[in-house]
Amino acid sequence: MAGASRAGRWARRVLAVAIGVAFVFPFYWTVVISLGHPGEFSDFPPVLVPHWDWSNWSRAWHSAPWLRLFGNTILIASCTVVLCLITSLLAGFAFGVLRFPGRKVLTLVVLSVLMMPGTVLIIPDYVLANDLHLLNTYWIQIIPWGASVFGIFLVRQFFLTMPSEILDAAALDGASRLRFLRSIGVPMVRPALVIVAINVFLGSWNSFLWPVIMTNSSMESSSTVQPVEVGLSTFANAEGTDFPGLAAAVTFTTLPVMVFFLLLQRQFIRGALSAAGGVRG
Amino acid sequence: MTATTEAAKALAAPPGPARRNRARDFRATRWGWAYSAPAVLVFLAFVIIPTGYTFYVSLWKWNALNPALSKFKGLGNYSRLFNATQPTFLSSLWHSLYFTGAMVVGGTAISLALALLLQRGGLLLNSTRVAVFLPHATPMIATSMIWVWIFNPKFGLADWFLHSLHLPTSQWLQSSASSMPAVIIYSLWHEVGFTTVVFLGGLAMLSNELSEAARVDGCSAWQEFWHVTWQQLRPVTVFVIAITAITSLQAFTQFYQLSSGGPAYATTTLSYLVYQEAFIFSDTGYGAALAVVLFAITVFFTLVRRRTAAGGESHALV
Repeated sequence: MAGASRAGRWARRVLAVAIGVAFVFPFYWTVVISLGHPGEFSDFPPVLVPHWDWSNWSRAWHSAPWLRLFGNTILIASCTVVLCLITSLLAGFAFGVLRFPGRKVLTLVVLSVLMMPGTVLIIPDYVLANDLHLLNTYWIQIIPWGASVFGIFLVRQFFLTMPSEILDAAALDGASRLRFLRSIGVPMVRPALVIVAINVFLGSWNSFLWPVIMTNSSMESSSTVQPVEVGLSTFANAEGTDFPGLAAAVTFTTLPVMVFFLLLQRQFIRGALSAAGGVRG
Repeated sequence: MTATTEAAKALAAPPGPARRNRARDFRATRWGWAYSAPAVLVFLAFVIIPTGYTFYVSLWKWNALNPALSKFKGLGNYSRLFNATQPTFLSSLWHSLYFTGAMVVGGTAISLALALLLQRGGLLLNSTRVAVFLPHATPMIATSMIWVWIFNPKFGLADWFLHSLHLPTSQWLQSSASSMPAVIIYSLWHEVGFTTVVFLGGLAMLSNELSEAARVDGCSAWQEFWHVTWQQLRPVTVFVIAITAITSLQAFTQFYQLSSGGPAYATTTLSYLVYQEAFIFSDTGYGAALAVVLFAITVFFTLVRRRTAAGGESHALV
């Protein structure tokens, strides 16, 4: 009996390792391709160990303005995060703490946003952005994503679990609502804000349909406002047959996201549970 | 009585009417509108009003370059849904449902199995959790490119794997019969990490007593899973199904990068067709009509989900 359960435990471990390796293997293989010789990708068996040919990396790095593209992505993602934190904090406070006529209606309005898929919005928002001359700007990549239903409801949830004595004490002290929010509210909902920030940042970094539509025109590449993922897609269309070069580009554009995820994976996985509601985009 | 003792009394006393009024005034305020305004304005401007605008655009032969030259068509774009030539609306609808169905069934089964395997914790199992979640955190454009190589019939890993097991190889993305399964395999790889974590969260909240009672009563491991664990996981499962269905209906990037809707339109889903009609063929009005249909399907799924909801606050959002 004990032997059987020990064998079971080992079987479980071996299976888990095999699955983990299978999930990560595509990333490893990409690195291998990026370090291979350009001619060797034509036949079986596939190359499975790197040849350490770094020339692909420098060739790929010099054929697109990657630094500018990275800068764009970081600028867009950071501004989106700041906006989302402000709007989520204020609206979460309003829905969780304040009582005002129309609160129910506003809550329903915000919830209804979840039913409106990004693919449906892309046409009217493109027409709108075109009319307002916002195509090919940073603005159109930031402002429309500056509020998050998930963020609002996560902050609201934190305020709902707050003991009402804290609020009573603040009210008795004659604190204004803004002051309450700044000195008591923010520290109290900080864990929620961290989760919102991480998820919005990653969501912005990984988005594609919106930026590819909104920054479509062929612009001078040194002044482009495109994020790095759109740049990668353009690069892939132009250099489609240079597998090692493209693999190098895939690797160095994905590496920062991976490091970001691995550093914050605890919060990230916790966030994924609550992120469940964020089906927008 | 002195002022100090009165103040002390007020502090010690249970909340008096004056005190409660203050807290009520703090809460009850029309300023609530101002606090919610920034978020609500973003949603109104970029989500809610544009959704209404989609209906409007769908009634026109829309001129993207100069909207003033658009021609009113009434329901013309909608009647075109049923007699359009390649790629037809009905085939794209079928591809959307095929993809969504496969993702819901495959994704739910795989992520539940993974969660059961990984629920114990420990360094090794936790590392596997991170490995399984990693694809979900990385961008779809970049990872789709990787899978184009994996599915390459000349030097890709997928055929090499089949070949070394002496199984028949496949053309994957290059044949219309196997391209949708290939996109589904990629999407499962990218998405199951997220739903696995959701199931792990559900498993962590299960009551141990019920499982122990089942074991004391002599249930086998399978009976315990089927009658105890699975029953308790029902709300989480409903949630996973709903979220997978909605994200799959909207899926775009993998179709764009892996297969461009092909070959022979075999992977042209409704979402991809919206993009193609509106932004490649510049038929904005027809694209908008397709978008309205997609919207209707999403609302339908959401309402069905609401009706069958078992409740629970973590599911309140969908």
